[in-house]
Amino acid sequence: MVFDTGVVILVSSIAAFFGLYLIVNLSLNLEFGYTGIPNFGKMLVVLGGAYIAGYLPGRLLLSMAQIDPSLDYIADNALIVTSINSFLRSFPALGIGILLLTILIGAAVGAVLGFVAAYPAVRLREEYLAMTLLAMGEVVKIIGYNYKPLIGGTLGVQVPDPLAAVPSGIRFPLMSVIILLFALAVFLYINRLVNSPLGRVLRAVRDSEAAAETLGKDIVRIRIKILVLSSAIGATAGSLHALYTGGVIALTYDRVVWTFWPWVMVLMGGMANNVGVLLGTLVFVTARQLITFYKGALAPYIPFDVVWLDYILLGVTLLLILMYRPDGIIPEKTSKTISFEKIAMERLKMTRGKEGE
Amino acid sequence: MVVVFPPIVREAIIFSSLLTLLSTGLTLTYMTSRVPNFAHGSFATIGTYVSLVAFRLFSLSPYQFIPVAFVLAGVVSFILYKAILRPLARKGASTILLMIATIAYDMLLIAALNITADFLSRNYKVTSRYFSLKSADIRIENIPMVFYAAPLVTAIVIVALYLLLTRTKFGVAMRAAIENPSLAGVVGINVDLVYSVSWFLAGGLAGVAGLLMALWFIGNPDLGTILLISIFTASIVGGLMNIYGAFLGGFLVGFAEVLGTANLARAVGVWIVPYRPVIPLLILVITLLTIPGGISSIKFERFIGRVRKGGF
Repeated sequence: MVFDTGVVILVSSIAAFFGLYLIVNLSLNLEFGYTGIPNFGKMLVVLGGAYIAGYLPGRLLLSMAQIDPSLDYIADNALIVTSINSFLRSFPALGIGILLLTILIGAAVGAVLGFVAAYPAVRLREEYLAMTLLAMGEVVKIIGYNYKPLIGGTLGVQVPDPLAAVPSGIRFPLMSVIILLFALAVFLYINRLVNSPLGRVLRAVRDSEAAAETLGKDIVRIRIKILVLSSAIGATAGSLHALYTGGVIALTYDRVVWTFWPWVMVLMGGMANNVGVLLGTLVFVTARQLITFYKGALAPYIPFDVVWLDYILLGVTLLLILMYRPDGIIPEKTSKTISFEKIAMERLKMTRGKEGE
Repeated sequence: MVVVFPPIVREAIIFSSLLTLLSTGLTLTYMTSRVPNFAHGSFATIGTYVSLVAFRLFSLSPYQFIPVAFVLAGVVSFILYKAILRPLARKGASTILLMIATIAYDMLLIAALNITADFLSRNYKVTSRYFSLKSADIRIENIPMVFYAAPLVTAIVIVALYLLLTRTKFGVAMRAAIENPSLAGVVGINVDLVYSVSWFLAGGLAGVAGLLMALWFIGNPDLGTILLISIFTASIVGGLMNIYGAFLGGFLVGFAEVLGTANLARAVGVWIVPYRPVIPLLILVITLLTIPGGISSIKFERFIGRVRKGGF
């Protein structure tokens, strides 16, 4: 079967961004939907993960690929990354190893960033936390954009291709599959987490801090734990994004793309409902990718630059959701507990057993 | 005697005065609706573009358009309250959802501002991005008028707000509505009207600040977005629940930002200048860690009492 290359690119980029956003959105849902933490700085950890992907793998492979040590990693970036890629072409397993290592370290850095960013305000009211996290995200972006040694500042850097050994025709589709696998793992993990007793503690923290405290739960500790965990998860999306696109520039990670769009998708799907979030993510990622893909075709019908259509779409859908569907497509279900019938049956069995003795 | 200020102090005075106008508005709306308005920066950008239109399209001084900026940004702010925040709050939306609503509104404003900028440059051949209107300012003995206008407007606003809140019936009603909305409603105060006026005033002040800002700083559709960190910090330093605190916070953060950046640039090099937003962020972090209630939460009476007992 022969596919049109354009369709392959479109489908694989929708799949990739669906996976990336799913990772970010599920981690946001864990923070906001389940625990009630207003993380308005989600882009912070995505940036952190992307920075690591831009900083680490290339430098790690320098000596292995026998790159001339007199070259400067930032100034001669294109040359260095090209030779690293041609080196990786003969070592596919090394490529996958580098991918996993990058994601692991990216997640660790994300966890640290999440902790540091939230620490000053985690004890205070949610407004303070929201403002602080937003400010932290902006400042980390400014640092990445201006501090050249990190990821090349305004020009950005290229990222070595962990799939350099794969034929170029299936490189992007394969990377999309890897991203989807990661997203699936995150989905299963978070689903398990929120359906465990811890999930009920999180909802208690969200719905009634006082009640949770009277039951001996340390709210600040729980908030910090969840922030660290979901920051680590969110950062993997940043690393994967950089590895997928093959380059990092701080400017492409702004709060609209990696903070506010995730919020729309989570709210659309239904907070504290991972299946809903999955649906919301699918709808908006597809819509946005289609807009980007058919930008040229759309332009004559829109009296302004198509870029702003993204902002208008974001603002309008968000307001509509808040006004008319604050619970999302699929509202939150009551948490899973053992059903009354089951308890009754168990008790019945127990009493019958006793009678039999 | 004429006091000559070095240019950097001049810049600090202009910036802090305008930041004070912005933080005062943010605090005012926070006090009434208990939601930090993430669109507040973009209200200022509206004023910036009023300035541009006044000078480039009508060839008039931006100062003549102060009422236009005030009313336009005021109405935009009022719509946010009346059409979005109030209905949502009535439905029982949480603070987080209200904050998200202000962000959604901000997205629409940013889109509108950018479309306006494109429209101006396409149809009128006006530089509408990264523009400077320094030449539009009137010069008094070679000093741009905004150097006098910015602190003057801020001083007038401080005095007027003080008089409004303490000397007029409406101001007293306003304070009552802020302190205890349901009780104020019981004694016949129109709480909704009071809140609407607060939002209109806050937006209007932001618009004026943005208009004056265009006379000194580089104007761009994301001007307000960039300012947002400084505005939040100024309000939080002031205590978020105290207008007079917001005045102090605005000047503190403004001076620290401008003078701090300038002195660091002199000490370590110009490369540090783009990192300017780190300064308000640091102030924010220090405030939250040491006095989360802001300057207005410090009990100076007790402190003075302790000093007297100890030494005097």
